[in-house]
Amino acid sequence: MNCQTCREHMIELADAKLDAETAAAARGHIDACEACRSEFETFSLTLASLDAVPSDPPTHRMRAQVMGPIEAEKLTQRNQAAWASSIRSAAASRRRRVPWVQFVLQAAGLCTLVALGFILGERTATQRQIADLRARVDTVGQLVEQSVLQKRSTGDRLETVLTAATTSKPDERVIDGLINSMAFDPSVNVRLNALSALYAHADQEVVRAGVLACLPRETNPLVQVSMIDFLVATKAREASPELRRLASDEKANADVRDSARRAIDLL
Amino acid sequence: MIAVRDGDLDCMGELFERHHGPLFGYLTKLTGNRTAAEDISQIVFQRMLKYRHTYRDEGKFTSWMYHLARRCASDHYRKASAAPIAVDPSDLAAHADEARSADESAASRDDHVLLQRALSRLDRDDREVLLLSRLQELSFAEVARILECSVGAARVRAHRALRTLRDHYFKMQKEPLT
Repeated sequence: MNCQTCREHMIELADAKLDAETAAAARGHIDACEACRSEFETFSLTLASLDAVPSDPPTHRMRAQVMGPIEAEKLTQRNQAAWASSIRSAAASRRRRVPWVQFVLQAAGLCTLVALGFILGERTATQRQIADLRARVDTVGQLVEQSVLQKRSTGDRLETVLTAATTSKPDERVIDGLINSMAFDPSVNVRLNALSALYAHADQEVVRAGVLACLPRETNPLVQVSMIDFLVATKAREASPELRRLASDEKANADVRDSARRAIDLL
Repeated sequence: MIAVRDGDLDCMGELFERHHGPLFGYLTKLTGNRTAAEDISQIVFQRMLKYRHTYRDEGKFTSWMYHLARRCASDHYRKASAAPIAVDPSDLAAHADEARSADESAASRDDHVLLQRALSRLDRDDREVLLLSRLQELSFAEVARILECSVGAARVRAHRALRTLRDHYFKMQKEPLT
């Protein structure tokens, strides 16, 4: 080992981070070379002094400012999971009821009045579930909105949505993420892209239920019309009450009202 | 960190408890300013949380953390060069002006103060490589990865930085007290 190589390894030699062979070669050189021995001694002294510089612990301010966002993120995560799960369970319960409805409709040939009453009851139940989902969207929404605003840039969020859109076989988390983005993202562009990505999964009950639950909370006419188009394209008849409400809502945008009326006719 | 990436945010608290001390110590020496070190450490953990989805199980977690810290410190220096820095009163002793007071002269005898002063005289890049090499959990290969250079280059830079630090430090020790 020459002086140059030996000196470059001195920090690791002092820290005992060298492998045995290199350490032995460096030690051998230092023993034989007066200049390198002197260099190593002064280096060791300097390193020991540097390592001995005390570092007081940080203040509690730092802990609070790190742990605060972690706790907020945990809360958001829990609420998003609960919301996604509520949509899934609502969709699943509606799926479970389908054979029942079919059975009752077949029986309707014998007893139309009873069947009609049953269907009305079903609708009321569905409306209750949608109202429940809507309430959850509104309460969770504010919390998530704050979280989303504090998180990544619009470009990053859009990229995430576009990446999710290109996933060939997305799992539940990806679908839930897209629904959450469509529901809570502050950017119209991101919400529209999330909705557009969900078209590929429109055969899933949870996706239609998610769009329907988001429609009442949406305020942007462009997104509202796109959601209505989605519900029509997926033949989501359960959207009729909400569409009727929109069609008669004087505060709603004229294009949205027209779109809702057309959708009612089509459905 | 893998657990955090996969959604277990309780582990983020554990990561903070385990790593914030060494990270803060490193940044305190790097910046010579406790307030700045706290701010940067805080940003590092916030970015870990924000970019947890991008974490790849390649190399050590600490390498990734110090890589993030390096970027955060660079952002800090960029902003600081554009705006005046708020100085923590507790740091004032370390910011010696030309005419030293009696207290400062007394403090200058202290090895730690001398060392910190010698360190502050190094270029930022030299200080960075030297301090990274002092972290027990990092090998030179990992330091090189953080600095995005070859292992040989990292060794040469650390050696050069240590030689400069030693020269400043020994020179200060020999300076007569004023």
